[in-house]
Amino acid sequence: MNPFRVAVAVARKDLRSEWRTRELVPALAQFVILALLIGNFGFQIDSRNAASIAPGILWLALVFAGLVAFGRAFAAEREQASLEAMLMTPASPVAVFAGKAAAAFGLLLLCEAVMLPALSLFFGTPLSIEVVAAVVLASVGMAALGCLFAAIVARVRARELLLPLLTLPLWIPFIIAGGSAVQSAMGLPGNYQEAIGLLIDFDILFLVLTSLAARFVLDE
Amino acid sequence: MNRYEKAAGGAVALMLLAAGAIFLYAPGDYLHGPVQRIFYLHVSSAITAFGCFAVVLIGGIVYLRNESPSADRIARAGALVGVVFTTVTLVMGMLWAKPVWGAYWVWDARLTSTLVLWIIYAGYLLVRRLAEPGRQSARFAAVVGIFGFADVPVVYFSVSWWNTHHPGPLIINNALPPEMLATFLFTMLCTLVLAGVMIGVRYRIETLLDGRHGVTERAHVVASRRPEASPEPVP
Repeated sequence: MNPFRVAVAVARKDLRSEWRTRELVPALAQFVILALLIGNFGFQIDSRNAASIAPGILWLALVFAGLVAFGRAFAAEREQASLEAMLMTPASPVAVFAGKAAAAFGLLLLCEAVMLPALSLFFGTPLSIEVVAAVVLASVGMAALGCLFAAIVARVRARELLLPLLTLPLWIPFIIAGGSAVQSAMGLPGNYQEAIGLLIDFDILFLVLTSLAARFVLDE
Repeated sequence: MNRYEKAAGGAVALMLLAAGAIFLYAPGDYLHGPVQRIFYLHVSSAITAFGCFAVVLIGGIVYLRNESPSADRIARAGALVGVVFTTVTLVMGMLWAKPVWGAYWVWDARLTSTLVLWIIYAGYLLVRRLAEPGRQSARFAAVVGIFGFADVPVVYFSVSWWNTHHPGPLIINNALPPEMLATFLFTMLCTLVLAGVMIGVRYRIETLLDGRHGVTERAHVVASRRPEASPEPVP
């Protein structure tokens, strides 16, 4: 079986089931809008300080939206016990994992497509290609790590507790580099090129590590 | 007195000797005064904690290769002892930082990455507590241990690319007077012995716990036998 085709099929299946139910993306969109609203009340934002506060709110909202999205990635499979069925087919577990991670990444992108314009609308920060590139590059690695740990906690008690505890510390490199890239793209001091380079390095590193580890997490 | 009690007594005696060396033998520091004596235990416990997490990493890799329950037990023991020594490192460092830097905490590369290290392995211990004991929990924990070990240099690098305050490596740079170096090496040795004994005792406890849960060398694929998993009796 061609692993690439397996991954595409799994991703299409997840996206189609999301398209039919339309549960997660509207909830995530509403969640990030609420996060921006809370940020506004927590910080007293005006046109002078918006550029220094908006990147922080962006990353907080993105990180927590990501946790919700990846937590749901394996929820349906767990409820229907369909993951075991998928793993009993000759498809390689790594390909199944890659498909699930790609679908979760796609859903996170949809949520970013709501969040970034909303951020720009509410806080008046520029919505430039630099900001979008930094957020998308960080989402790649975050999706790989988030899906791996979502697969781990899917079979553990108290999974809602454990997913943030395991995932957030491992996301810190992406938040450091991505935060710095978004700050410099919004006009604060910082080296944009270097931060983007770091994000690409982290993406490659964690994509390789998660694809090595996926076999041990899913192969049961 | 069994051999575990003897080993623990020996390790405590060694630590008391190290305390004697730190407070009586080592010379005082001209610039920082008595607070510099924190350095000996702080650096020793940091290196020991890294050693413990290396034990977790190796235990995890061995477990993923051959599913040996003893490799998993030693990883569990290493994680617990490592978290204890990381806590010691963080607390000692904060006590040192208040008079020297003027604040208990700064967002420096080493401080941030040590805090992340502590959080990751505290999460590792939580996975062990929340997952059903047995093969699956051990596999998941091995993956968490490997990612934790890989993440720390990455966090360290990314924060140091940002900013750093922490003093550089004094020992490698040969910047210590001989009495200080001797005290440091002795403290380092005693701390390593203490950690070794703690891992040994914990390994024994984990073996006994595994016996209770039915994880033995021969049958390591086990149906979970948690008391709380049994159905509630009908009143």
